Amino acid sequence: MKTTGSGNRLAVLVPYRPAPARMPVRIGPLSAAILCFCAVMAASTAWAEAGPTMLSPLQIIVKWSPLLLRGFVFNIAISLLAMLLGTVAGLGLGLALLSESRLLAAVSWLVTQFFRNAPWLVLLFFVMFLVPFQVTLFKTTIPLPDWIKATVGFALPVMANVAEVVRGAVRSIPATQWEAAESLSFTRRQTMWLIMLPQCIKRMLPPWMNIYALVAMSTVLASIVGVSEMLTLTAQVHAAEGGRPELFAPLYGFALLCFFLYCYPINLWTARLERRFRVR
Amino acid sequence: MRNMLRSMMAGAAVLLLLGSAQAADGVDAIKQRGTLNVGVKADYKPFGYRDPTGNVVGIEPDLAADIAKRLGVKLELVPVGASNRIEFLQQGKVDLLIATMSDRPERRRVVQVIEPLYYSDYVNILLNKKAGIKDWADLKGKPVCATSGAWYNKDVAKSYGPEIVAFDGSEKPLFAMKQGNCIGYVYDQTFLQGKLLEDEWKTDYDLPLKGVLPSPWMIAVALENASLQKLLEDTTKDWMKTGFIVAAEKKWGITPTEYSLSMHEQYKDK
Repeated sequence: MKTTGSGNRLAVLVPYRPAPARMPVRIGPLSAAILCFCAVMAASTAWAEAGPTMLSPLQIIVKWSPLLLRGFVFNIAISLLAMLLGTVAGLGLGLALLSESRLLAAVSWLVTQFFRNAPWLVLLFFVMFLVPFQVTLFKTTIPLPDWIKATVGFALPVMANVAEVVRGAVRSIPATQWEAAESLSFTRRQTMWLIMLPQCIKRMLPPWMNIYALVAMSTVLASIVGVSEMLTLTAQVHAAEGGRPELFAPLYGFALLCFFLYCYPINLWTARLERRFRVR
Repeated sequence: MRNMLRSMMAGAAVLLLLGSAQAADGVDAIKQRGTLNVGVKADYKPFGYRDPTGNVVGIEPDLAADIAKRLGVKLELVPVGASNRIEFLQQGKVDLLIATMSDRPERRRVVQVIEPLYYSDYVNILLNKKAGIKDWADLKGKPVCATSGAWYNKDVAKSYGPEIVAFDGSEKPLFAMKQGNCIGYVYDQTFLQGKLLEDEWKTDYDLPLKGVLPSPWMIAVALENASLQKLLEDTTKDWMKTGFIVAAEKKWGITPTEYSLSMHEQYKDK
């Protein structure tokens, strides 16, 4: 039956659909950008008192933006790689959580809880200072630059959080599916990979993207352990411009703006997927 | 299973051995590698800071470049901070540090210092040009801004008798001075010289007095790295002989310090 024309539909056959819930206040990405820009500009009004020979904060940001944006790309690279590593490891850990082997489930539970409840910065410190800067394997020296170590440091909490997402999603599929699969003589592994996980992808996507947005924002923590990412560079740029206090807000505001413009669309998209995939 | 465990353990032992062997050898390892890794600051103008293309530039990167040239290898600058520089050196991630590091006894226990010391910071006072102070003694009874916790505040107060007004960090005292709460700012001379590179400060302020309370900086290498230590000692002496450091100070726009001038004087004819 065609559903395009609403007039010729029998009311009885049309399922009840509640109006999609909307966020009370929604800021479109464009207006958000304008808002942020205004904030940065307002913060830099202090410049007006300074002499006319100096570059305005905006000119300074323009001058340094290639370097700062290079740092930002680095942040994104770290977050994407950490997410990739963490997702692969987290999927394995999540399946281990659901394992029928008591021992495996217990060990993976312990691992998950540990990495989920440890502060990200502490994990980062551990990885940074315990892993050497290079490893020598069969006479070839493989350098491990700081950002790779930081990536691993971020991948650990991602792994634990993804594991919980996987476990939750699989658990949320009605048990009857397991029984149906069993009655059709699917093995446990087949049931998991062919029936459960494909159904879970939809449910896992929004929380997974949430985790990603969190990771992307957390990559600035790497500045504390000396990775030359955007925040580190922002501090160095501030120093190179003579550490003028009135530059503090515009420079860090620029970093804020970059992260906001990157993360806010992800959040919007997550919210849309959540609405679309809502289990009714 | 047991065999596997054993080989894994042997592998780990070999890894450890190789790792420690790499840290100990000196100049030859650098030449073999073809790069010299030097830890420098990237947030201390003009000693080491970023230019808009992202390179670390300044006096200390110039010194590092000269060492690399002498060795005939490429230079790799690693930005370091006060919290991680000694670790980087001990790990072997950098071969040496030229990173505005003050000479302290507790540091001498963990790293090898290169003597003669290449540079020295002083304590100095940034003064308004209109203040008319000609000598440290003129500060007696006058309000002077300072950073709370700086080790020399008490010494300055005792020797010259100014009234110290202390603030956190370095921005607040500068601001207070601009507002007229005090006539000058007592702080590390190298930092104040960096300020004078800015238009904001150089029009109305300067450093008319001679620096006091010298606090030398050190170039450091890992302990028991005799060949690199020897090379750097010779290099430092050569810098002093040729006036390389004084020239670098001039190149980067700061007035040569008394220390570099006197060391140049001392080594000139050797």
